[in-house]
Amino acid sequence: MKRRTFLQLGGMTAAGAWLSGCRSANERLIPYLVSPDEGVTPGRAEYYASACRFCPAGCGILVRVSEGRAKKIEGNPAHPVNRGKLCARGQAILQELYHPDRVPQPLKRTGPRGSGKFTPISWGEGLSLLAGRLSALQRERSTERLALMTTQLRGTLAELADRFVAAFGSPHHIRFDLLAPDWLRAANRRSFGQASLPWYDIAETRYLLSFGADFLEYHLSPVHYGFAFGRMRQGRDTVRGHFTYVGGRMSLTAASADRWMPVRPGSEGALALGMARLILTESLYDAASMAASGLWPERLAAGLEAYDLPQVAQLTGLPQQVIAEVAREFATTPPSLAMAGEMVAFQDNGPEAVRAVQLLNVLAGNLNRPGGVFPGGSVAGPENSFADLLAFVERMRGDRIGVALIHGDPLHTIPPVTGFPEALARVPFVVSFSPLLDDTALQADLILPDHAALESWGDVIPPVAPRGTVIGLMQPVVTPLHDTRQFPEVLMATARELGGGMAAAFPQQSYLEMLKEAMKKEVHPAGGIDFETVWVDLLRQGGLFKTEGKGGKGYRWTAEAPVPAPAEPRFAGDDKRFPLHLQIYPSTAFYDGRGAPLPWLQQLPDPMTTVVWDSWVEINPATAAGLGIGFGDLVEVTSPRGSLHLPAVLYPGIRPDMVAIPMGQGHRGMGRYAEGRGVNPLALLALADNGTGPLPAWNATRVRVARISKEGNLVTAGNPEGSYRGELIEI
Amino acid sequence: MEKQTSPYRWGMVVDLDRCTGCGACVVACQAENNVAICGKKEIAEGRNMHWLRIERFWVGEYPNVRARFLPVLCQHCRDAPCEPVCPVYASYHNPDGLNGQVYNRCVGTRYCGNNCPYAVRVFNFYSHQWPKPLDNQLSPDITVRPRGVMEKCTFCVQRIRRAKEDASGEGRLVRDGEVQPACAQTCPAEALVFGNLADPRSRVARLVRSPRRFRLLEHLGTHPSVYYLKGGGREHV
Ligand code: SF4
Ligand code: SF4
Repeated sequence: MKRRTFLQLGGMTAAGAWLSGCRSANERLIPYLVSPDEGVTPGRAEYYASACRFCPAGCGILVRVSEGRAKKIEGNPAHPVNRGKLCARGQAILQELYHPDRVPQPLKRTGPRGSGKFTPISWGEGLSLLAGRLSALQRERSTERLALMTTQLRGTLAELADRFVAAFGSPHHIRFDLLAPDWLRAANRRSFGQASLPWYDIAETRYLLSFGADFLEYHLSPVHYGFAFGRMRQGRDTVRGHFTYVGGRMSLTAASADRWMPVRPGSEGALALGMARLILTESLYDAASMAASGLWPERLAAGLEAYDLPQVAQLTGLPQQVIAEVAREFATTPPSLAMAGEMVAFQDNGPEAVRAVQLLNVLAGNLNRPGGVFPGGSVAGPENSFADLLAFVERMRGDRIGVALIHGDPLHTIPPVTGFPEALARVPFVVSFSPLLDDTALQADLILPDHAALESWGDVIPPVAPRGTVIGLMQPVVTPLHDTRQFPEVLMATARELGGGMAAAFPQQSYLEMLKEAMKKEVHPAGGIDFETVWVDLLRQGGLFKTEGKGGKGYRWTAEAPVPAPAEPRFAGDDKRFPLHLQIYPSTAFYDGRGAPLPWLQQLPDPMTTVVWDSWVEINPATAAGLGIGFGDLVEVTSPRGSLHLPAVLYPGIRPDMVAIPMGQGHRGMGRYAEGRGVNPLALLALADNGTGPLPAWNATRVRVARISKEGNLVTAGNPEGSYRGELIEI
Repeated sequence: MEKQTSPYRWGMVVDLDRCTGCGACVVACQAENNVAICGKKEIAEGRNMHWLRIERFWVGEYPNVRARFLPVLCQHCRDAPCEPVCPVYASYHNPDGLNGQVYNRCVGTRYCGNNCPYAVRVFNFYSHQWPKPLDNQLSPDITVRPRGVMEKCTFCVQRIRRAKEDASGEGRLVRDGEVQPACAQTCPAEALVFGNLADPRSRVARLVRSPRRFRLLEHLGTHPSVYYLKGGGREHV
């Protein structure tokens, strides 16, 4: 301290000699030494409202623009989904706009597919190439040989894409997203007779029980639910909501739980039914809710006979007393809330396990009540797009597709076990709209690059909003950087080029016009107010947010709904040769992989492991010790489908019979920051067939792990040893 | 303790019961403050440039294990160990309680970084690049720090300055909640609350009175302006 004080005093006298009359010792120093506060140059920036489409949640954003350049993305406080907040990904889409490796103009393939050899062409040439292929199909009267593949679009974009294929005379618009909530819509239809997605009132609940629903990372609407979670914990004066998480791996979401139940993979449904049975036999259920749903407690209990406590403890590998305790807490802490998520749905018994969790909400009376679950809005969507995907693969395999238009990167996000890559290779003409040379674009014959999100128009309809109508509007915040065109504009231009019925299907001059028409229908401007004024207002505030009224029909267990019956889980790979369960999960930073090209997200330490710029496999320390694997060692993970090499992370929060790999890395292209970095774990996935045909059971593959060397080349931002010593900071 | 000469004493509360460790604040900070993009090699050398990091602690062993998150940023200590060791007064204290860093004064001795117990000061060991057109994202409000300069969290001083200008233009003080650093602005769970500790009615000042309050390495006597609230309630592991 002596030396510090000395330096301080020395400085003060030096400065003091120059300045007098200042108010404090500190200030006497500062005005002399510092003129502008650290180089701040004041100057006003402008904000433009738009919407984020990086994941399906559809948050509202405000983009700070200065001198024609986008500088910073913030949450739009007026947007009911995210209320001014944003996740890491949403802020990083700025780097999608300014990515140094964007495809600047249309490209035509010159080398063999996958070689990355393209030659730049003009839009005129690109469009007539495409139109030429399409009119050939028309001439051959085989218009059904056109396929359009997109992610699960909504709003005007979905309408336009559908109209394009329909007008052409093809039934093939495939809308597949690995992480889309088809499974939840299907389960809701089966249990409640309506496929609408739920809205969970997390903020007001007192006991939250999540079965593999990682709502703080990617499940449905992470910012919306992250906001609600903060309120659940500390937003009420006397209540702190409790949170229990069920799942074999401690996810980022599970890390915030008060209690973690590392259940055996595939037994989540059995656990839910075991809890249901206990609630019934101990008469802890909500009688009114049971009656409203037409369920008879005795009959239901009889149907759940098989799920007595000892049996469920056996199936799940959890102590009986813990199961009973959680069941009782859940039933006696109203309002409580049970959620089912992807980590349950992606088991081969997932569809029924999800329904078992829903039954808990019926028993505890959580349907349609504050702190419980409501049907959220009216967003319809596919309930089994996986079946569509498989049918599409069959078609391509049978050489029945001549032209495939692909928006998105299915070669990276569809597990190869579906046969998609080989089937696509048979399609004679593949068009990609990717703004970067991603895995799919590298295999394409023609690339017609889309605008970046911040250069685009669009409507973004969030899947999760309390009630009412919420439509976010995207508007260009800067002039386009390159010679790119927005995907819907390209479809419309192609239709015009084809002429005839195709051109007639798109009477509007531009996508913007179509968007405005659609919004006009939504708002019905009152007499006397002209729509242009309304439109400018909508753009200014970021969209149409009508959050009152229109509460849909509540959830009610339907008479036809059978008692959930999750079968014994099955896994691909026998347990002798493949002793470990593999869990793949969406990366917090990259979602399904679309975030990988953005350096901010690569540099962002993974919250659980602090790994940067890489892939890794998480192994329980005890399991790793048994296999002689140390932190950061290079290991080989082998499934019945294939094997991958990647570094190991010793992860205390995972079952010893399980390993986990995040999705998102392992791109063959996608620019300098993503290319060749890490591995794509989807390559390991095999399909468990339970007799009814293949299911999207992405977490039902078994693997083995072997050490290769010390050279994992793993980099963590935090010290893996140091961070174990929490007592240093006494938290 | 020095006399309070400014109506502001900026401070922050980090509610660990709300923080989910999501990392949104880390990217917000990087985006707002022109923080450099660092590759794998640089981070392997322990030279990541993030001003705000989320420490992750594992507590216990499977199955009774918990993960805890601790956002760590410059604590803006009132008795800041980094300040007196700087031979050129690049590290200084401003009347509003901010611990500032004058980049064009810094000569890169790194004494301040060595003396900071929270390890939140980051040094430009390399000169960093924003390959074109990525440089368009750089904020004009903030200098891009060259090689050889120390930098760290400023509580987004550029925002504070602007808010103060706005307020004094209207002849009033900055209102509670009127200015937020980028991290607090984006935090989905509202774990970060920023404000004027000198105003007893401000949200931070009220939260600081919580019995859950503690400060990092309190025994060092640095008197941080960042307060943490313990995660609380019934806990099962
Ligand atoms: S949650 Fe999804 S929509 Fe919202 S900001 Fe993040 S990436 Fe964008
Ligand atoms: S944004 Fe908020 S919740 Fe996320 S890590 Fe930062 S402080 Fe925690």
